[in-house]
Amino acid sequence: MGGRAGMILVVGLSFILGYIGFNMNRYATDAVGNMASYYDASASHNLALAGANVGLSKFYEDTTWYGTLNQSFNSPSLKGSFSAKMHDLGSERAMLRSVSSYQTWYAHTLHDTVEVYFNKRRLNSFSMYAWMTDFEGNVFWITGDTVWGRVHSNGNLHVNGKPVFMDKATTSKHFDPKPGVGANKAIFKKGYETGVAKIDFPTDISEIVTASTSGGRNYAGAIWVTLSPGTSATGDGKVYVRATQFGPIIDSISLSDPTFNGVILGTGRVNVQGAMDGRLTIASLSDVYVQDDIVYEQNPLEGTSDDLLGLVADKNVVVADNAANNSNCVIHAAIFARDVAFSAENYASRGLSGTLGVIGSIVQKERGAVGQFAGSTLKSGFYKRYRYDPRLEDPTFRPPYFPGFYVKTYAITNWWESYRISEVQ
Amino acid sequence: MSSLLDIIYSMLFGGTLFIIVLNANDIAAENQSTYHGDMMVQQMLTSTAQLIEGEFRNMGFGMPEKSATVRAADSSSISFLTDLGRDGGFIDTIRYSIGPVSELAATQNELDRNLYRSVNGGQRAIVGIVTTFRLQYFTMDGELLSVPVPSDRLSEVQVVEVTMEVQNSNALARSSVQVKEGERSALYSSSLWQQTRLASQNSRR
Repeated sequence: MGGRAGMILVVGLSFILGYIGFNMNRYATDAVGNMASYYDASASHNLALAGANVGLSKFYEDTTWYGTLNQSFNSPSLKGSFSAKMHDLGSERAMLRSVSSYQTWYAHTLHDTVEVYFNKRRLNSFSMYAWMTDFEGNVFWITGDTVWGRVHSNGNLHVNGKPVFMDKATTSKHFDPKPGVGANKAIFKKGYETGVAKIDFPTDISEIVTASTSGGRNYAGAIWVTLSPGTSATGDGKVYVRATQFGPIIDSISLSDPTFNGVILGTGRVNVQGAMDGRLTIASLSDVYVQDDIVYEQNPLEGTSDDLLGLVADKNVVVADNAANNSNCVIHAAIFARDVAFSAENYASRGLSGTLGVIGSIVQKERGAVGQFAGSTLKSGFYKRYRYDPRLEDPTFRPPYFPGFYVKTYAITNWWESYRISEVQ
Repeated sequence: MSSLLDIIYSMLFGGTLFIIVLNANDIAAENQSTYHGDMMVQQMLTSTAQLIEGEFRNMGFGMPEKSATVRAADSSSISFLTDLGRDGGFIDTIRYSIGPVSELAATQNELDRNLYRSVNGGQRAIVGIVTTFRLQYFTMDGELLSVPVPSDRLSEVQVVEVTMEVQNSNALARSSVQVKEGERSALYSSSLWQQTRLASQNSRR
């Protein structure tokens, strides 16, 4: 009897101690298990990231690749796999999706996903170039010329002397002569590149025409546009439109009007002058004539400015030959002459007109002339003082509906990674 | 006589066993409490860490290139933009912040506080209880930005360093002899997590 009781006692005691020990072990294991789970989740996530990086590498090697890439790992420290697949999302977008499978220590499989989105075509604004031409003609960059901002030509860039290019200069053809050879002693502060892809000029300015009839202003014939900065407060500029130079105002537009999309277009010659406060594009289906200074209320080179003007002509942007412009002229604007040039009216016969100061960018089909030199001496027209508006470096920062061009690219636009939130919510 | 001796021996043996069991039970209970505390602390930490890691990595998703994704950045709060729905539509504003310690004055731990998350300025939700939640911000060049990050430098935030500590709300009592100078009178199981280079790929575009 005593022996049986002893047995029961020992077994009972063992059971109690065993149960306590089991519970302690369980808590100890669970505490470590949390960190192990976190490690597993991180490993699974990193596996998906590795798949994305491998897929990216493969895709950038061959951008026509729209396949699937699988890779498995079976080492003591890593048991898992990833599958990276390229998806074509139409003419504009593509996506790489990488999915991981990771075998945890507790025989459970984790999956993580990484998605990388690409933009196959990027819209760049012409205003991102400080200077751009389709055709340079027989005009040379010479000693004393300094350009801030990017320079590009679809034609040859002629250099005679030591001009300074503060930003990168590119040409779809060549430098004439080659840099460092003969008379080309140009200084390229951020380098140069030849033979780059041609940037096609648009065949029309239809996008601006459409904008002018849907939310903007569209006038038949010639117009005279006077810009007014309003009060010293920002964003309260006004635009007054006349049919003739001294005629009555036929339209008045507030640039702070939310229903106005920022585009004014005339089908004939558009004459412009004044000081502006706001964002605006003034366009013409023929020529834009600068009748007097056009300035921002806040100069972007002297502080913060939110003023931005685009002067867009289907043909020419011209600095008029008049009394106001015969002793210096200042233009704050991004200038675009689609089919011809930016030039000064009667540049060879107007007499000495002082300095033409531009703060903005100049894009033209052909390189126009604003003055005539004999050696380094100005005989007629303007001296040039062109400064780039650095805000325009960002191609998304442009005057309303300012012309742009598409470049073929596979820029990553978005990157998404899966994550776990179930235990929190 | 022998029966009486048997009874005395049995009582001695049984009593000893009983004391051993009671002692073992005390030790087991204490260990169980410690392990359970550790487990809870680590569970809280890992779940909060996973949420923060995930959302910070997707900071700026769906935003146009070159636009600033961080709206406000301080040493213990951050507000940033992302498209939570991933539908190319509405961009959400997510804010992480901590509450004052007074909110959790009822707990034994005098350092713990709520970690809040709110979306689009809506009601704050508690996503964790932390004793430390510290944020540091770096530029692409590795420059440490001062906090609060000035608004004109928010677009430079490329990397966020997150330091988070979670402590048990319940203390493990210690006798006054065990407490060294400068130490808190009670012990709290704690767990620390630090992500030194948390960068969203979206801010590198």
